[in-house]
Amino acid sequence: MSPRHLVTPLFTGLALTLLAFQASAVTLGAVLPLTGSSASIGDDQRRGIELAIADINAKGGVLGEPLKVTIEDSGDGATGALDAATKLNTVNKVPVVLGEYSSSVSIPLGQYLVKQGLVHLNIGSSSPAIRKIGATSYSLIGLDDLSAQFAAKDVLGMGYRKIAFIAPNGAYGQGIYEQFKKYIEAGGGSVVAQVLYTPGQSSYRRELQQMQRSQPDVFVYSAYGQEAAVINRESFDLGIAKTPWYGIYLSMCTTDTPAQIANGQLGMEVASLGPAGKAFASEYQKKYGFAMKSSYSSYAYDGVMLAAAAIDQAKSADPSKIAAAIKSLGGTFDGATGTLALDADGQRTEQPYDKLVYKNGALQPRS
Amino acid sequence: MLQFLLDTLARTADLALIALGLSLVYGLAKFPNVAHVQYAMLGAFVAVALQRSGCPLPLAMVASCLAMGCLAVLLHIGVFRRLLRSGPAIAMIGSLALSMIIGALVLGFAGSSPLSYRLPIEAPLSLGEAMLARSQLLSMLTTLVLLVLFAIVLFKTRLGRSMRALACNAPLAAAAGLNADGITYWVNFMSGALAGLGGSLLAMNTSAYTNLGSDLLLPIFAAAILGGLGNPLGAVLGALLIALTETLVTNLNIGWLYGQAMAFIPVGYIGAASFLMLLLALIFRPYGLFDREVRRV
Repeated sequence: MSPRHLVTPLFTGLALTLLAFQASAVTLGAVLPLTGSSASIGDDQRRGIELAIADINAKGGVLGEPLKVTIEDSGDGATGALDAATKLNTVNKVPVVLGEYSSSVSIPLGQYLVKQGLVHLNIGSSSPAIRKIGATSYSLIGLDDLSAQFAAKDVLGMGYRKIAFIAPNGAYGQGIYEQFKKYIEAGGGSVVAQVLYTPGQSSYRRELQQMQRSQPDVFVYSAYGQEAAVINRESFDLGIAKTPWYGIYLSMCTTDTPAQIANGQLGMEVASLGPAGKAFASEYQKKYGFAMKSSYSSYAYDGVMLAAAAIDQAKSADPSKIAAAIKSLGGTFDGATGTLALDADGQRTEQPYDKLVYKNGALQPRS
Repeated sequence: MLQFLLDTLARTADLALIALGLSLVYGLAKFPNVAHVQYAMLGAFVAVALQRSGCPLPLAMVASCLAMGCLAVLLHIGVFRRLLRSGPAIAMIGSLALSMIIGALVLGFAGSSPLSYRLPIEAPLSLGEAMLARSQLLSMLTTLVLLVLFAIVLFKTRLGRSMRALACNAPLAAAAGLNADGITYWVNFMSGALAGLGGSLLAMNTSAYTNLGSDLLLPIFAAAILGGLGNPLGAVLGALLIALTETLVTNLNIGWLYGQAMAFIPVGYIGAASFLMLLLALIFRPYGLFDREVRRV
């Protein structure tokens, strides 16, 4: 045979081998806020996902194949998230997508994924509106009806009765405000000032001054990393940092704030580690050289673990079979964040929270 | 009351220098330069970048002013002078396009995260019940000094006299022997430098971020129009009026309307309030509040 006759079969053989090589990994998708006000959290979620990939592949992968997760940047907005999801669906053809962090992004993302028949795993958002995203959307993190109840009990328990509340104007802020106000008023307190601020501004001084006029006992706030940094710095400049500040999801609120300003803030946060979580914490420290930067890396880790376990149980990468497997795994899945029990809407039924205080540059437990 | 006054003055200081620059260039070039606010944004980034790499703050700000002044002159020579031959409307559209290009370039280079000075955290000054951050105090004092300097240049120097003559009647001034081109370059340099300084001072309070210019666009234009386009010191008073309106609107307790102890107009509406004021002022004084020109006899 002359060399020319070898070219076609060789080329075809090479192409088929490459195709086969590509098709042999199981690929999941993730949409994270790698830029924007929640960039620090998005980075931490990415680290959790990478740790999960390393752990799974060390044990032989999924369905005997190596696991891959394609991570896309949502740009901290719904438009970017939908672009990323479209790409993951049509180009990468993934069966499961994890994400995002901000509720106003996760909701449209989840709705798109459910419409396309894919599985959506919510690893960071907590607005009660998440419950209604759709049948194949599952949350690894408890929603704000649970967190607001915990926070309200904590705040009232410390003796505060007149509360000033500030949160971003969006699915998350509106949801948590409604729930928090309900539980505060039920407990005998009152919200004397409330601000749902427009996200993305460079200054929140006027909002803070308006709240200051009501002379509250405590400022309860929840804000994304960089906006929280602005709010904290301006409250320091206005002298109202002297009034106690309580942060809902405190690690999110203090992630970009200088330690000197955040010092002394009280708050609550999702418990980042369940009983099986110590292994995750030390693995994280070993791989990255620093302690967990937020409480959300463990939820991203559990998201990948859950997806892998569901694919293994369903013995297939078909989204509807994965969804059925996730439903059956609920209640028996033990992740780094504890036992995951899902209710009929696919939402976590029990969410442990920690009471925290910011001291000496880090979040410490508070009794 | 003191806090109200301080807030108004601080906001005036934020707007004054940039509005001054805008009005100055309008007096000469007779078109509203939409890209002017981007000089403030660029100036902020340059000053922050220099300070973060070790330059002392005053030096970083001066360097940023010089850079923005030169940029303004270059853009005038390269872009606006040509566009002006087709008329002020074309020049304004061109300035809008340039503004978008600058914004996109900075977004590409600097990213979407804000960049702030590396300054030590200092406790605010307290004057009775009112609080003033040191950065606000510095901003107000610097603005005041520069306004005084500018007024001296405008009214007491030859350059200032020439600028006023050229703004008033360009052909006559040129016929009287004034170097129109040279003065135009100086005016563009000054307006760019002032905008750059305004931006660097603003960044002390808010950090340098890519939308710094576009967030200021509407209040700056409102201030310049209120003071009368072409009247630089009028623009400063316009800035004071806009700042006053904004602070008043957000401090007004409208609780009595709702039967509550305290209720306030949401901060998102302050832009609407400023523009309402501008609209009312223009209905009664179309050429600005301080207009004294005789147009018909």
